[in-house]
Amino acid sequence: MDKKTIAVIFGGRSVEHDISIITAHTPIIQSLTASGQFDIWPIYIAKNGSWYSDKIMNDLEFFKRNDFENYLSEQKKIRLLFDDGLKIIWPGFRQKTIAIDIVFPAMHGTFGEDGSLMGLLRMANAPFVGCDIFASAVAMDKTLTKQVLAAENIPIVPFVWFTKYEWEKNKNGLIQKIKKLKWPLFIKPAHLGSSIAITKIKQESELENAIEVAFHYDDKILAEESVENLIEATLPIIGNDELQLGGIERPLNKTGFFDFNDKYLSGNKKSGGVNNQYSEIPANISADLKQQVENLGKQTYRLLGCSGIARVDFLIDGISQKVYVNEVNTLPGSLYCHNWRKMGISGVELVTKLVALAEERFQKQKNITYTFRSDILNQVNGKKITK
Amino acid sequence: MESQKPKISNGVKNWLSLYNPRYIRSLAYMLQASEYNIRDYVSWLARVKNFNKVENRKHLASTPKSLFVIAFISIIILCIYGAAFAILLQWANPLKYLVFILIIISAPHLLSYGIIIPLWLFTFFIQKPTEHFIINRTEKILRNNKSIKIAIAGSFGKTTMREILKTVLAEGQKTAAPPDNYNTPIGISKFVRQLTGNEEILIFELGEYYSGDVRKLCQMIKPQIGIITGVNEAHLQKFKTTDAAADTIFELADWLKDKTVYVNNENALAKNKALNNHIIYNRDGVGNWRVQGAQTDLTGTSFILENNDLRIEVKSKLLGLHQIGPLSVAADIALRLGISPEKIQQGIAKTKPFNHRLELKNYNDGVILLDDSYNGNPDGVDAVIEFLASLKNHKRFYVTPGLVEMGLKTESVHKEIGKKLAKAGIEKIILIKNSVTPYIEQGLKENGYNGEIQWFDNAAAAFAALPNLTVNGDIVVLQNDWPDQYA
Repeated sequence: MDKKTIAVIFGGRSVEHDISIITAHTPIIQSLTASGQFDIWPIYIAKNGSWYSDKIMNDLEFFKRNDFENYLSEQKKIRLLFDDGLKIIWPGFRQKTIAIDIVFPAMHGTFGEDGSLMGLLRMANAPFVGCDIFASAVAMDKTLTKQVLAAENIPIVPFVWFTKYEWEKNKNGLIQKIKKLKWPLFIKPAHLGSSIAITKIKQESELENAIEVAFHYDDKILAEESVENLIEATLPIIGNDELQLGGIERPLNKTGFFDFNDKYLSGNKKSGGVNNQYSEIPANISADLKQQVENLGKQTYRLLGCSGIARVDFLIDGISQKVYVNEVNTLPGSLYCHNWRKMGISGVELVTKLVALAEERFQKQKNITYTFRSDILNQVNGKKITK
Repeated sequence: MESQKPKISNGVKNWLSLYNPRYIRSLAYMLQASEYNIRDYVSWLARVKNFNKVENRKHLASTPKSLFVIAFISIIILCIYGAAFAILLQWANPLKYLVFILIIISAPHLLSYGIIIPLWLFTFFIQKPTEHFIINRTEKILRNNKSIKIAIAGSFGKTTMREILKTVLAEGQKTAAPPDNYNTPIGISKFVRQLTGNEEILIFELGEYYSGDVRKLCQMIKPQIGIITGVNEAHLQKFKTTDAAADTIFELADWLKDKTVYVNNENALAKNKALNNHIIYNRDGVGNWRVQGAQTDLTGTSFILENNDLRIEVKSKLLGLHQIGPLSVAADIALRLGISPEKIQQGIAKTKPFNHRLELKNYNDGVILLDDSYNGNPDGVDAVIEFLASLKNHKRFYVTPGLVEMGLKTESVHKEIGKKLAKAGIEKIILIKNSVTPYIEQGLKENGYNGEIQWFDNAAAAFAALPNLTVNGDIVVLQNDWPDQYA
């Protein structure tokens, strides 16, 4: 059996650059390797935006070397060719070209998970794993996500959003608006994941500082009511039309809310991945809550037009038993492999299923007509074109 | 960048490996891994293609002997090159250039085969006399040691038998046995030197590599009780026929004559050679003891030993019904030595899998690993597949590079493994690419196997892949591990 050539793209100009390196390897590259079905080309986008591909990067240990950036700086940067699919090229006297059959994006945050990379891959007419450009772009913006969900009556937590420009022009007006929300509040950058630059504030004196911190990372932020008596829950989902649910997972964080350290640095590093042993799967919640979470999860996935894989996060008020959809993550860290394993799906089964879903979506898109023949050009400079 | 490196053919790479400075280390490693046995070293030498790749599974251990060998080999190669340059500079004949080039090119071969001469001289004039002296001294120490001496011979199952006996008999008597694989005259001598003289029972494994080995060990140890665990294709590369292996192993029974000899009749070859005065053991009992209510699962193996009115209910942490025979032998010997049934029960309860022999390990979030990597013989493989077949409601993975030293039986033994795996319905078979595993695949296919077969280039790649192939509750058997000299 001929192996499919797959490119795993990771790194990128994002604060979640390093998390992306981990996701790319644990489980993606390791599981693709274990399946024995793929010729894997790792494509690493450095923090400065340069693209490199070298099979030495299939090993996570490479990125633990102190000199890996020096090593790469001596390598040729790759070029991309969009010629009936994606090709990567090492230019030079002995030019080398590899045609890529399928792409597995493993990028978190900006210029990757936000739809940018998906746009590029659509232009290249290359099948790729995970959510498409539209779901990725909406899910990357927390306010836009909430607005889309609210329009379809999916319960969300009340919030106020504004840009840096608006804050500088109308600080007092916005503070008044924020004061009307039910405190305590969360101040969040609209586009960042991994809980970076999120602050919980209990009094007005903390507000401006929290907003300054968030604006340091983003141009658009939101102030959102905090759900007290909070039960957090998250639900990974895979599928295009037919959805398969992971286990409802409840993070067991010790601090007031889940920060970057809780998520990525406090786990059991030995077993790999970015989400280890800080959660309860399946979450010990009532059957009714479970039902609500699963239904809202599926609705949200469909509303945003997700495909391949995504994870929907929920906030549950433990007393009122009200469930809110908080946000959607279109590339869950390490694909939430630990969760899928608990549901009996191994890393290899997960990645091969995601590849199959990507191919299925690509085939469907191929059947859509994007062009049609017209004689409009012949009419230019001749007769008057009327609309 | 992998794709940009200039392509060098494997033939050229193999040839260049002869001139790599690492070549000296590789030769030293090959000598060490062959235990400085000239026959084994030469047969390995003839098979090696790339000398940069001989150290795969293990590495050269830094010992005084290996350091001496490296220094010695280095001196020889310097002498060869020195001679070549001397000819070039001193010899007036125009042929000197040709001779110079020939010596330089053939130097690695001169070296690899040339070191056999000093090695043989060393073996003949130093090692053998020294060993003779050591063995005589050991024989004398053991003659003065009044303990009961039990000897175990067989192609397989010796270490497990030794550990079972040690654990059970130690409940009632002062018992000692050599550690690890100390089953050669020199290994046993090392152990004997440490004895205090207060021991009541000594247990020895007798290693069999060539005809006469077991007899020599018997003469040194002078055992009163013997146990023959079975005969199969292990070491067939050296013995050529299983009959030759059986004759060597039964040198123990020959030496003991009418003294107590236990023979495992679950093994066909041992059964055929057993005499009427031997005590037969298997999973149904030993001598007059009958086994009832035998059960096995991942927690261990339980059964009842019955002999007229006496009834001993036991549970061991050892896995698989094939362990019942050896456990029964230990109980029988213990009773003969006056150890109480209660103590036997306690002793058997303490028996557990020995390192890498069907050893249960939990790893990677609830995946059950059965490490059987030191088990590389057909009977052991049968026992594992039988045990695996009894475990339901789990996805089962069987990982193997196949078995070594099967000689002319290589094809049939491996096809049989494939057949048994197919019949047992093991869900996934992971095979390591080498000369024997295609026969396992053939055996699987010929017997209608409908599970999944996956290939890996080497064991390391398979181990690295396992965490991504498995989920909680899966069972993974690691069957056998190939030393470098067989790769």
